[in-house]
Amino acid sequence: MLPLRRSTGRTAARIHAALAGLAAACACSAAAFAHISSNGFLSARFDDREIHGSMEISVRDAELAVGIDANHDGKITWAELRSAQPRLVGYLSDHVTFAVQGRRCDITFQPMEVNDRVDGHYAWLPFTGRCPGAIDAVEIDAVEIRYTVLEGLDPSHRGLLTLTGQGGTQTGVLGGGSPQAIYSVLAPNRWQTFQDYFEAGVRHILSGIDHLLFLLSLLLPAVLHRKSGHWEPVHEARPALIGVLKVVTAFTLAHSITLTLAALDLVRLPTRLTESIIAASIIVAALNNIFPIITESRARIAFGFGLLHGFGFASVLSDMGLPPGARLISLLSFNLGIEAGQLSVVLLVMPLIYALRNGLFYRRTVMPWGSAAIAALAFVWLVQRAAFPVG
Amino acid sequence: MRKRWRELRTALARGARLLVVLSLASTGPFAVPAASAAASAPYLPASDSQVLAEIPAGAAHRSAPSLAAAARRLDVALPLAQFDIARARATGDLRFLGYAEAALAPWRNRTDAPPEILVLDATILQSRHAFEASLIELDRALTARPGDAQGWLTRATVLRVLGRYEEAEMSCERLRPSADAAIASLCTESLRSLTGHLSDAYETIKLLSMQNLPAEARAWRYSELGEMSERLGDGERAGHWFREGLEAAPDDLYIRAAYADSLLRQGRAAETLRLLADYQSMEPMLLRVTIAHRQLRDGAGALAEQQLSTAFQVELMRGDAVHRREQARFLLEVDRDPPAALSAALDNWRIQREPDDILILLRAAQAAHRSGAAAPALEFLKRNGLEDARLAAYRDAG
Repeated sequence: MLPLRRSTGRTAARIHAALAGLAAACACSAAAFAHISSNGFLSARFDDREIHGSMEISVRDAELAVGIDANHDGKITWAELRSAQPRLVGYLSDHVTFAVQGRRCDITFQPMEVNDRVDGHYAWLPFTGRCPGAIDAVEIDAVEIRYTVLEGLDPSHRGLLTLTGQGGTQTGVLGGGSPQAIYSVLAPNRWQTFQDYFEAGVRHILSGIDHLLFLLSLLLPAVLHRKSGHWEPVHEARPALIGVLKVVTAFTLAHSITLTLAALDLVRLPTRLTESIIAASIIVAALNNIFPIITESRARIAFGFGLLHGFGFASVLSDMGLPPGARLISLLSFNLGIEAGQLSVVLLVMPLIYALRNGLFYRRTVMPWGSAAIAALAFVWLVQRAAFPVG
Repeated sequence: MRKRWRELRTALARGARLLVVLSLASTGPFAVPAASAAASAPYLPASDSQVLAEIPAGAAHRSAPSLAAAARRLDVALPLAQFDIARARATGDLRFLGYAEAALAPWRNRTDAPPEILVLDATILQSRHAFEASLIELDRALTARPGDAQGWLTRATVLRVLGRYEEAEMSCERLRPSADAAIASLCTESLRSLTGHLSDAYETIKLLSMQNLPAEARAWRYSELGEMSERLGDGERAGHWFREGLEAAPDDLYIRAAYADSLLRQGRAAETLRLLADYQSMEPMLLRVTIAHRQLRDGAGALAEQQLSTAFQVELMRGDAVHRREQARFLLEVDRDPPAALSAALDNWRIQREPDDILILLRAAQAAHRSGAAAPALEFLKRNGLEDARLAAYRDAG
């Protein structure tokens, strides 16, 4: 059985990050064009009754649409682009429209600037919009956007939308066969976000058998104590409970710290390294049960390696992405989900091993052989993770 | 009569190359900016005379009357679309594919759409990896004109990419009456090489004489021989054929990329960089360049990596399925993110089934410790008797 490291797909948040990255890699030379498919960028922020945003069309697409190269020398200068601004504004007004409650918004463009993207220079046109349809409403909720830039000229052109409402940012794609869509720009449901991420946390810990085996290895001896080189059962529940509490708390504290640091992108470690150390941590914890070195303060092991396990959790979270505007709540929910899953396992295992602690079966079989099996399994993972051939 | 034959052969050969070249070029070439990638913000250019864009020939403003003419007259629309596709092929500029699509749009939805239009449309769809849609267009074209050799050849190519070898072979058979015998044989034998007759097909294609055919057709043969040598596990021999191919057709991006892959597999990164030195403005080539830099550990690929990453993210954002294979490779070999690579390789596998698609899937599955994820590909491989030395290391692991 192998631990699952299922990538949960790319969410809007991840794609949003991609959009942000787009502007970061600029083609700073006019002559050097990257020939990716044609894209336009529409970014809009919806306040109570107004829209503030920008439209971007590549200079080359602008030429295709309205004809900018006045002297037909195959080169578009800033002067040519600027003198074509009224026609470009007219074209964009016709081909990018917003409507609220069926009534079209009035868009006013401000003076054009230039923005650099990976495939060349873009005409960047900031705008503000007022929506008569929103006057009756308390606030702008559903906005209908129609995007038909390069219609009839390049059907593969797409409008890439970044829309920010009170609740956060969403992305969208318009063009080709689907030129329009209705976007809800109200706040996302926080309860829903909580549920989604909580559930993801529970699911991850329950399918992340390596994290559970690590914890289990530390919990197995909790109902015993070391006496002159032998394991002896504890006589009352109290010390067992305190031991468990220490281990679980230390593990939780540690992985919460690194999960937060990694999820907020403050610290980054290579997956291969963290996954390998996680496997190694299981071996250490399991072997410590057979050849005890640290008997009284297993919480330290839990804390030390727990830091690495946190990075493991974070890789799942980074696959899901943290929704902008709800980063903290989703991070918290995910973490709570992990704790809840972990706690339920502890509550399931503890009464069982507490009941078994007095028998020789537990001390002679479950402890050594169970730990050995765990260590062996973890060793296989370690080899796989540390030495997987990528080349 | 002889002249018409020659024209048809030329067209066929062109078509064959076009398909592969376009599918390669559909990520598009991709410029390396001179300056470092700084965070950008809108700005006012310093001078009126600053050049913001150079418009390639054929990409200037298309006026309403000229568009109306193309919508009304086939003898305007067809050459226009052919010109645009040729430009896309020559420069790797993806926007030209869009322009060609626009020229075809008023025609392709007509019930009496001319077969030439439909075949061109199918070519564009194929290059966008919309394979099913491409087949629909081809079936429409071939129903209207059952003797359309270009249509059958395109159909064979699409079906081959989809791994539907028996149907592809039937399309190759339909080529025979109207196409050059060597082209038809190459079509058939290249399929046999994928279905348990690799050595045999290799020897047959080696003996095919194409000296009288245009350079593109000869290049196609060389590329098949090179790829077959790769699958036979003979990188040296593959290199020989790829070099022959590049001599016949220096602009053949498909062969250049395949040669680069062969060199990279042999750990010959420095040679890869020399091979691609003048081609770094093209994204698929840039991928190979970054992998070469990784192999050399010279740290010179950082900017290119960032650009590739951006380009793949745009494709993802657009919802394009075009370059999942390259993306998976990027995620596996450059980003070192096996789970993400596996996810991309699986998405890719749902779309296309060439040996390279199986290879990336098996590699990603192994790296992500999820060998089971590649089970459908292994099953496909066994069912068809696909021989590929590159896959041997992975096929038993599953």
